[in-house]
Amino acid sequence: MANLDQLSAAQIAAGVASGDFTATEVARAALDAVDARDGEIRAFLQVSADLALAAAEATDKARAAGEKLGPLAGVPVAFKDNMHLVGTRTTCASKMLSNYESTFTATCVQRMLDAGATPVGKTNMDEFAFGSSTESSAFHPTANPWDTTRVPGGSSGGSAAAVAAGEVSVSLGSDTGGSIRQPASLCGVVGMKPTYGAVSRYGVVAFGSSLDQVGPFGRSVEDVALAMNALTAGGRDPWDSTSQPVDVDFLAHLDDPVEGRRVGVVPALMEAAGLTDEVRDAVTAAGCALQDQGAELVEVDLPNIASAIAAYYVIAPCEAFSNLARFDGVRYGYQEQGCATLAEQTSLSRAHGFGEEAKRRQMLGAYLLSSGTYDTYYYPAQQVRTLITADYARAYEKCDVILMPAAPRTAFKFGEMSDPTQMYASDLFTISNNIVGNGGVSVPLGLGATSGLPVSAQLQGPAFADATLLTFARAIERSFSPAGGAPVAPAFAGKGGELA
Amino acid sequence: MPLTREDVAGIADYARIALTPEELDEMTAYMNSAIDLLEPIRQYDLEGVEPTFHPIGDLSNVMADDVPDEEVRHLSVDVALSNAGASRDRSFRVPSILGDQGGDR
Repeated sequence: MANLDQLSAAQIAAGVASGDFTATEVARAALDAVDARDGEIRAFLQVSADLALAAAEATDKARAAGEKLGPLAGVPVAFKDNMHLVGTRTTCASKMLSNYESTFTATCVQRMLDAGATPVGKTNMDEFAFGSSTESSAFHPTANPWDTTRVPGGSSGGSAAAVAAGEVSVSLGSDTGGSIRQPASLCGVVGMKPTYGAVSRYGVVAFGSSLDQVGPFGRSVEDVALAMNALTAGGRDPWDSTSQPVDVDFLAHLDDPVEGRRVGVVPALMEAAGLTDEVRDAVTAAGCALQDQGAELVEVDLPNIASAIAAYYVIAPCEAFSNLARFDGVRYGYQEQGCATLAEQTSLSRAHGFGEEAKRRQMLGAYLLSSGTYDTYYYPAQQVRTLITADYARAYEKCDVILMPAAPRTAFKFGEMSDPTQMYASDLFTISNNIVGNGGVSVPLGLGATSGLPVSAQLQGPAFADATLLTFARAIERSFSPAGGAPVAPAFAGKGGELA
Repeated sequence: MPLTREDVAGIADYARIALTPEELDEMTAYMNSAIDLLEPIRQYDLEGVEPTFHPIGDLSNVMADDVPDEEVRHLSVDVALSNAGASRDRSFRVPSILGDQGGDR
């Protein structure tokens, strides 16, 4: 029979529904693949074998009882370790939360489970999602399945690597400044950051509350659409006050024609410093592929986008400082022992529980929110946000979506980006979309001509045009992935994971 | 004017993050290089530009009746205490808030 990594999520759900194989067989195959592959990849912080087998058994019993199965029936999924799932720890890859047991289940996780998914485990990340390489995890780095001497990107690096290595079909990540789209790009998988508010964040540990958004990874646009349907089923989540109703069938629009529709290209971004030739050439080729399918390319301008990184590194650290103030060593999290006073316990718990980058971001936020600097940076950054939002609104009067790179270059070596502010600058193509709250998707374009590593394009769209993004993503996929999806990284394809 | 080591020590105190002397040196260098990255924000004339604090502009507070509802998800005391470093009498336990004068440890 087939190896699990050769099947799409849709094929797995259909196979389980028709009785070609059971959800339990799929779960065992996924756990076997993780066993065979994750020693080298280290995408997982925890493997939830018991939960996976229990969920699969419930799916099989439901089928035996003649019940209608969900659209993700038996599909093995993984969750970034900032998402609560009862029966697992939620560590945010931090020593601060290394023993924290989930006390409830996040809505995004629950909706995947309600659709029939099998929870395989929790994935590695940059500590509290601060980073673009997953190197700031307090526990261990994660390797890029295409070259294990290189990073998978981040902060959702474990979720991207697990899908790229064929350990699971679909995973969830969170994206505050590019943390889904950039690792998807570096690992050669599809990664979507939906519009702010489209997916509930209830039960996801907060980083930047006006920026954070949860979204799926998959090896094909179809699998991502399937996950988006599951994540938005049930409408608005009353437990997240920023949650918005999304009433669209993402699968139904996948093969809508792009003929006659307009794709914006920002010339200044295609000449951005740090953008490598192989990525620029591939994104240009993606534009040509859309043209070949009848879409029209139009030039648009985002004049204030060069200030997006500066605005982000005001807004995000301030929100992070505010959110991470809750880690006081009292109610949960690492607690320093033997302190004489509460103040000492708080300062030492935070000093010893947080890693370097988590301390840096909070220190920056604390400074930027202090009286005197608030008017110099914080308030003006929110005004610049208004300008960037207006830039995008003007651009979308001329086009349906905007095509640009997701990451300026392919996966880099461990330790190569040692200067934190150099790492920050690498988010230039993704960060502006978080500032304005729009959706974006990273689409694989095969391997780069120079590096031989995965390269990708990013599509950005207006608010709540996420289904349109997947229509255009599917159109690019038709040209670049004739097999219907991105391949599993060759060094790991077929290792374990045989469907018995 | 760049931040001094003393400035950064004051911020660390405010942020409740105890830093070692070496960490204070590294943090001072980092803070100044990060602040350099923010310079574009200061170059704008923003007279008359409204701020956008949140991407969903018309968001308003969600209000609910102040009535206990057994159907509503909530943490029980036991669950709420289950991740605490120390607890006693169904409460979180902390060291003295006031120093020497304040109760037991």
